[in-house]
Amino acid sequence: MGGLLSYFRNLLGSREMRILILGLDGAGKTTILYRLQVGEVVTTIPTIGFNVEQVTYKNLKFQVWDLGGQTSIRPYWRCYYSNTDAIIYVVDSADRDRIGISKDELIYMLGEDELQGAILVVLANKQDMAGCLSVAEVHQALGLDALKNRTFQIFKTSATKGEGLDMAMDWLSNALMSRK
Amino acid sequence: MTDSKYFTTTKKGEIFELKSELNNDKKEKKKEAVKKVIASMTVGKDVSALFPDVVNCMQTDNLELKKLVYLYLMNYAKSQPDMAIMAVNTFVKELATSPMTKDCEDPNPLIRALAVRTMGCIRVDKITEYLCEPLRKCLKDEDPYVRKTAAVCVAKLYDINAALVEDQGFLDQLKDLLSDSNPMVVANAVAALSEINEASPSGQPLVEMNAQTINKLLTALNECTEWGQVFILDSLANYSPKDDREAQSICERITPRLAHANAAVVLSAVKVLMKLMEMLQSESDFVGTLTKKLAPPLVTLLSSEPEVQYVALRNINLIVQKRPDILKHEMKVFFVKYNDPIYVKLEKLDIMIRLASQANIAQVLSELKEYATEVDVDFVRKAVRAIGRCAIKVEPSAERCVSTLLDLIQTKVNYVVQEAIVVIKDIFRKYPNKYESIISTLCENLDTLDEPEARASMIWIIGEYAERIDNADELLESFLEGFHDENTQVQLQLLTAIVKLFLKRPTDTQELVQQVLSLATQDSDNPDLRDRGFIYWRLLSTDPAAAKEVVLAEKPLISEETDLLEPALLDELICHISSLASVYHKPPTAFVEGRAAGARKSLPARSNSNEDTVQRVPQPQSQVIPAQDSLIGDLLSMDIGGPSVVTPAPTSQSGLGLDLLGGGLDGILGSNDPISAPAISQTTTGLLGDIFGFSQAPTSYIPPKVNWLPAEKGKGFDVWGTFSRKNGQISMDMTFSNKAMQPMGGFAIQLNKNSFGLTPAAPLQVGGPLNPGASIETSVILSTAGAVQRMDPLNDLQVAMKNNIGIFYFACLVPMNVFFTEDGQLDKRIFLSTWKDIPAQNEVQYTLTGVMLTADQVVQKMQQNNVFTIAKRNVEGQDMLYQSLKLTNNVWVLNELKIQPGNPNVTLSLKSRSVEVASGVFAAYDAILHS
Repeated sequence: MGGLLSYFRNLLGSREMRILILGLDGAGKTTILYRLQVGEVVTTIPTIGFNVEQVTYKNLKFQVWDLGGQTSIRPYWRCYYSNTDAIIYVVDSADRDRIGISKDELIYMLGEDELQGAILVVLANKQDMAGCLSVAEVHQALGLDALKNRTFQIFKTSATKGEGLDMAMDWLSNALMSRK
Repeated sequence: MTDSKYFTTTKKGEIFELKSELNNDKKEKKKEAVKKVIASMTVGKDVSALFPDVVNCMQTDNLELKKLVYLYLMNYAKSQPDMAIMAVNTFVKELATSPMTKDCEDPNPLIRALAVRTMGCIRVDKITEYLCEPLRKCLKDEDPYVRKTAAVCVAKLYDINAALVEDQGFLDQLKDLLSDSNPMVVANAVAALSEINEASPSGQPLVEMNAQTINKLLTALNECTEWGQVFILDSLANYSPKDDREAQSICERITPRLAHANAAVVLSAVKVLMKLMEMLQSESDFVGTLTKKLAPPLVTLLSSEPEVQYVALRNINLIVQKRPDILKHEMKVFFVKYNDPIYVKLEKLDIMIRLASQANIAQVLSELKEYATEVDVDFVRKAVRAIGRCAIKVEPSAERCVSTLLDLIQTKVNYVVQEAIVVIKDIFRKYPNKYESIISTLCENLDTLDEPEARASMIWIIGEYAERIDNADELLESFLEGFHDENTQVQLQLLTAIVKLFLKRPTDTQELVQQVLSLATQDSDNPDLRDRGFIYWRLLSTDPAAAKEVVLAEKPLISEETDLLEPALLDELICHISSLASVYHKPPTAFVEGRAAGARKSLPARSNSNEDTVQRVPQPQSQVIPAQDSLIGDLLSMDIGGPSVVTPAPTSQSGLGLDLLGGGLDGILGSNDPISAPAISQTTTGLLGDIFGFSQAPTSYIPPKVNWLPAEKGKGFDVWGTFSRKNGQISMDMTFSNKAMQPMGGFAIQLNKNSFGLTPAAPLQVGGPLNPGASIETSVILSTAGAVQRMDPLNDLQVAMKNNIGIFYFACLVPMNVFFTEDGQLDKRIFLSTWKDIPAQNEVQYTLTGVMLTADQVVQKMQQNNVFTIAKRNVEGQDMLYQSLKLTNNVWVLNELKIQPGNPNVTLSLKSRSVEVASGVFAAYDAILHS
């Protein structure tokens, strides 16, 4: 039935999906955004504020918001929560020191009312770095086991090498399509 | 039913609706929503709650939407300082040259400029630091419009965070923009720099212009927009050319601006020219032609609309006061037109009076007479007053003015008569005993006077000329009837006038004077009136002769131009031509808040006028000494191998002469003085000094005069001074200058208790009153017999000076060497034993640097200042000098000097029982050896 719906949606011109890319500063959010949009690695500077871009993936249109991860900006994430279809939560797998903070931010965010229906994709980024945490370890460290009532999946990625992103996006588009 | 229904509403409210519209996916809807938000904002509704939603609309390709969002941002960033940070990335993205977007930066320069302009308007401290990088890039943008906007942004940033701008090197970047290829960029960079300079906390300009940048500005001047020209001209006005030639070339290059259609450009050009003309020699042809060139543009300004005319007139008023020559032939354009607004009329009238001269007085008078018959009362009054002022200003035509006034009095128009009487009083003051014949005409109008000023003036006239008015007592008595109802001004005047009358005609007016005295002292509660009454009463009862001297004293002449601006203020205002200050006739500090620290502008000194200051400073001795040598050589026909061989001889001679004659005629013996004496004593001793060579005194070191009391602190009284020791006496030599508008007199001086008991030995003598603009030299001989009080520093002296304007206090430092007495020479053995007796902790060392003198020259120089060399030794190539001196308070100071030939550093060891004098003595050594 989902297939049929999406068929009509495509005919009528689908609504843009609203996706937030969140995560601590330096996790690779902006790089992922432009990897998705342009397909290239661009040099980035810390995002003081936000980026918003249109991304088309397999005929699906996404409006992707990349919000800055600095401590000073995190309080404003909440201003972007309403009507969000999915959250891409990016984790720096090599940053063992701050994985705990990353977990806290994630848990806190998932507690928000406005995000109860949002699909969660966790990207264990920077898998190309030596000595990084494995996917399982990230899964463990973020306490994803305890997650209930949430459509979610974790992927290992390397934004600079372009690895794992396609898989994650495939899963996400399917999940979004089948949701309604 | 409960009342709770009133608290629930189905309406979610406007803000909520706007919020959902702003988050709409459709771009058109979004734009509509932002427009609604802006509309609400414009009418004053608080829509700051929508800040995040509006900011989220910021990243868009739609220029219209972007502009609207920026507008919102500028308005509310301040109220949402934390949230404003979310906007930063968008700016960075639009301006950055490297990251993220496909085409690196927004290809549209308008968008870049818009971003940088908005950025500068977001006055939130937290985010300014993020904006530095993008701003730096914009200052180097390839598009001139972006660069010029960025230049202005630097000035805005400076206002938010001055330190940041300085640290980030934006000032240098801004300075680089002064040589930009695009004139618009140059003009805006100039504007930004001048704004920054004015806001500079130190009051000192942060970025100085040099000749090269000025040259670039002058080139850009011809090509940029009119307002750009104004900016450039204004900053040219702040630049001081280094010499006449540069000033002249700047003048030549900006003169064409005088023909510009924009009044602001014209006035700014006039300002620069007025300023630069100060630097040029006033007699030169160049200034002459420039003066001629300035008139037509100013005249042209008077044909614009009334508001512009008014601004032009206020500025012209200043220009006319500074340089009457410019418009002296243009009197006609200042004639009032019937349809001029009143403010233009009054201003024109003012300028007419300033321009009135012997040459045009006939024309002016006939105009003024006509004005006096117009309908506007204020204007008529001012016109009548103007006639009076012309009478005072243009002496030869006083008679015509007076007869014009009399004609006007004949009209019997009440306010004309009253105004005329007020000015006639002034005319009587200016020309005593000349026009008293008209008094009878004035008296005819006595009954019509109902204004206090006119009544007071009339009463003054009656009192002043009581002896010529037969019925003066009756007239005054008639005023006395309603004494209590009169204005204080009239009461005071009436009191004085009746006392005058009594002193002139004591026989039949005794009753009248008693009556007025009792009215003033017993029935009045005005303290001024009572006091004046009592004083007269007491004067009259104790010493009528003294009363006569006081009350009928000769009055000082009134000045010709009573309402001229103070010269210092005028000069400052000239620097502010074409600004609000020149319209208000007040310095900007008087009406702009927070500008107190700003630099006060002043006109540049005429380049040749430094001669004045040079002349005032006594010539340093270094110029005299070589001349001595050569003269000695000439006189004695000696072949001088080196100065060191010869100089000791005259020194000892003059030293000897000193001891024997106490500074008499040893100059003839010493043969060194005829040269040095005229150099300094010209002004004081004159020819006699030249002939007799009033010796010794001038050869001792006199520090240059310093400004003890600047004119602005002394209400125009300016004092420069120094101390010297002549013939065993300390003298305080001063130059008084009068920079106020009125003559000064009654000078007196007092010194506070001080460390050396300095006190004036004779009262201050100043020959005659000091007229405005004049200077006078004076000296006070000081004795050291006064009260002693330890000061810090030791040689600090607090001075009080009095003149007819007020009492002024200042402090100055007395150079220690004036306290060195003539009997400061110790015997060798006593020196040795004293040196040993003084404990080691009383020894202080000091290094004199940059002493380019041989030991012998040091001996000579110090000897001229009563520092005596007891012995001289040569130890291992070093010259050791042992010197003694005695201070006026009998403190002995013993010194040892180590001089290495060729080494400019001299080590000085000092021993004294009162070691606190050391620093003063060191300073004296320093000053004397470097003189």
